[in-house]
Amino acid sequence: MKKGFYPKLAFEGIKKNRQMYLPYILTGSCMVMMYYILVFLYTSETVDKIAGSAALKDILELGGWVIAIFAVIFLFYTNSFLMKRRKKEFGLYNILGMGKRNIAVILFWESLITAAVSFAAGIVSGIVFSKLAELILIHIQNAEADYQFSVSLPAVGMTAAVFGVIFVLILLNSIRMIRFSSAIALLRSENTGEKPPKANWLIGILGIVVLVVAYYIAVTINNPVKAMTVFFIAVVMVIAATYMIMISGSVMFCRLLQKNKRYYYQSNHFVSVSSMVYRMKRNGAGLASICVLATMVLVMISTTVSLYFGGEDSVNNLYPRQIDMTFNIQEKERLSDEYVGTVRSDLTAFLKKYDVDPSNVIDYRRACSFGTMKDGRVELQPEIVLDDLSDEYYFYFVPINDYNRMTGADEILEKDEAVIYMADHEYDRDTISFDGGKDFKVKNPENSYEMISNDDSNIIPAVMVFVNDLEDVVSDMKELSCYWEYDFNTDLDSNAQTELAAKIRSEFCAESADKNDTHCVVDSKENARVEFFSIYGGMLFIGIMLSIVFIFAAVLIIYYKQISEGYEDQARFAIMQKVGMTKREIRRSINSQLLTVFFMPLIMAGTHLVFAFPMIKKMLLVFNMNNAALFAAVTGICFLAFALLYVLVYRITSNAYYQIVSGSKADS
Amino acid sequence: MSILEVKGLKKTYSTRFGGNKVEALKNVNFSVEEGEYVAIMGESGSGKTTLLNILAALDKPTGGKVMLSGIDLTCVKDSQMAAFRRDNLGFVFQDFNLLDTFTLEDNIYLPLVLAGKQYPEMHEKLMPIARTLGISGLLKKYPYEVSGGQKQRAAVARAVISDPKIILADEPTGALDSKASDELLKMFEEINSTGQTILMVTHSVKAASTAGRLLFIKDGEVYHQIYRGNDSNEQFYQKITDTLTLLATGGERI
Repeated sequence: MKKGFYPKLAFEGIKKNRQMYLPYILTGSCMVMMYYILVFLYTSETVDKIAGSAALKDILELGGWVIAIFAVIFLFYTNSFLMKRRKKEFGLYNILGMGKRNIAVILFWESLITAAVSFAAGIVSGIVFSKLAELILIHIQNAEADYQFSVSLPAVGMTAAVFGVIFVLILLNSIRMIRFSSAIALLRSENTGEKPPKANWLIGILGIVVLVVAYYIAVTINNPVKAMTVFFIAVVMVIAATYMIMISGSVMFCRLLQKNKRYYYQSNHFVSVSSMVYRMKRNGAGLASICVLATMVLVMISTTVSLYFGGEDSVNNLYPRQIDMTFNIQEKERLSDEYVGTVRSDLTAFLKKYDVDPSNVIDYRRACSFGTMKDGRVELQPEIVLDDLSDEYYFYFVPINDYNRMTGADEILEKDEAVIYMADHEYDRDTISFDGGKDFKVKNPENSYEMISNDDSNIIPAVMVFVNDLEDVVSDMKELSCYWEYDFNTDLDSNAQTELAAKIRSEFCAESADKNDTHCVVDSKENARVEFFSIYGGMLFIGIMLSIVFIFAAVLIIYYKQISEGYEDQARFAIMQKVGMTKREIRRSINSQLLTVFFMPLIMAGTHLVFAFPMIKKMLLVFNMNNAALFAAVTGICFLAFALLYVLVYRITSNAYYQIVSGSKADS
Repeated sequence: MSILEVKGLKKTYSTRFGGNKVEALKNVNFSVEEGEYVAIMGESGSGKTTLLNILAALDKPTGGKVMLSGIDLTCVKDSQMAAFRRDNLGFVFQDFNLLDTFTLEDNIYLPLVLAGKQYPEMHEKLMPIARTLGISGLLKKYPYEVSGGQKQRAAVARAVISDPKIILADEPTGALDSKASDELLKMFEEINSTGQTILMVTHSVKAASTAGRLLFIKDGEVYHQIYRGNDSNEQFYQKITDTLTLLATGGERI
């Protein structure tokens, strides 16, 4: 055969089917670009310089793998559309005497061309956008950036390897598809309607049951740590349920519409409903995919955005003052005013040396332990049991004197009296008794008690117990560990704060350990903030990247759905035009179809989001994010933005559908 | 009264760059009376399909007139053309042109639904037609579940149900085996006997022999026509073959 025959045939094939190939190549390049950018970032030296880059790099690398896996699924999916269209052509080649080997060669050339173009375009745009992505990442991290442009050869190599494997797999799959179908099967256009899945009702009911269970789990979970693991189970359940409900539900829905003769036999519903019934399974699967992708995007964007923008709150929650010092006290004698007073005066002297005047000081002693509380009886446990957190609390015993000193209050307690303060609700009993320890009469506070703790870890609700004599309490209950907390603000700038914390750590703490035998831990809010933003900034970045990929996926699914259905329906609309359907009626029937199914994925995604909300809120607590209002607002905005985009995409693609379908008149 | 009148019909195709002009129809004149069953025969390339496309208002003539019960087809506006076709014409195609997405019943309803008719009315109309065509038991089936002959009967039902002024049939037996063809042609006769006007384009002498009148078209002109008179199908068949032989051997104009 003439040289260059196969490449030419392959090239012509691509050119003729460019309406299908262009989005495929676009998908390929987008995936290559995203992957390259992530690999570039986690191998980048600039990123190395960001504080806390180890965690960030882990997040980026994980994101890279997610994109690679997604690329496999997604390219296979789009390729199956391509093959469906090409099968007829290949069947003709086969009948005209071209062996399956020859067809495989054409396929090879086609894959080579598409892969090469996708890869080249992806790498070039990846290189162009990698710097931008780096700058964005660095900006999110609040770190310093340089403006040097670079190409990472290892990243190019890695991308080439990963996508080389993906494209080879796709080629093998295409060849397999050609190999195992006969020429006649290839040639014959698929004109048999889809049968509804067997036991359709059962699938639908099962789907609803699974969904209800998943929703129930999501709503009732109150253990944030457990929420993390349960979340993934719930996600899998919701995805499965979405597919089951969408597939069987759309079949049932269309059947119902068809049974309603008054509705069905109307010129604008007649055609749309029947063609939905005709490809009901595919329709349902497509809608479910769109719904799942939409939900993923919304969950990812809303959580990472609110984590990031709630970051400042979380840091303030954890570190109420600029410098945070905690002294670990092992012997109960050291809880005495005398001992703490010595350390305090040493510390003020040390700070004075550096011209630091601590202001807005938090200064109190506390004895803490986990414990379970039921009906006013408390059992303290040295360690937390994570399985069941329903009765689990974190108990703080604080001397009332420390409280009075800090707040200027004048509360007096007897030895057997205590004031109880809980963050989320009021303690409504007259007594509280600790197993193997003291019983207290609960005194109502005269004025409202504010939490003075910075250890309000949120995952497990805190109970403050203000008592007269802390040393007495500690001697009874061995489970308690004791601390002296000393936090303060300074008038230093952020860098100086971090430096001061370092100085206190290296000089004062060491000195004090020798002299007073203390164990002291120092941290600065500034330092925490940097670490915090390195992690949450990284998550936000990945969230945005993955959202782009998923949105891209959803758009392409919609596009391919419309285009492939358009080609399928072309002949049908040609017939209908012959029988007397006007172009206006075509438009109307397309709109009717859109209105019937258009909002389904969006509504379902919204429902998923509403039910996921309590669970995600709980999970965010693990990340010290406690601003439900911010999260709700962000989620709402994301949903609206997504809905807008969705409408836009549907409008554009339905126009493409109309062009294909109505343009057929010319060649009838 | 003639329901269809074709006067001096002309259709010229020009190639893409305007070079060669092909005259598909030169000067076609004929008319069809109400209740008539007319067949048109001609060789490939004689202009049959072009003629039918123009009669079906799918194509516009270069010159001449097509009057359907007094309305000039060339004067119907493009935007109203589809509705006009739906209300006045019934079609039977060689390849059936049934929609896979519909059951046979819904396929038959299609023109009525497009015309905005209500279900009870459509259903009432369909029942006698389905009985005549012998497809009462098949109505809930999909086109890919029935045979070619059954499909074509459904297509005929679709053409008949809107009470068109004229049914245009384009090689209706072309894709059928001989038994199915015979059955279909019998149905055409039956439908015609109820007063339905039919115009059929065909290659098949057998199909043509069921018509009441036969037009021969050659090189874009109506070349010859013969009437059945009181002949039986067999006698008319003989007449047609004789004529064809004569035409093919280039005999004098009769």
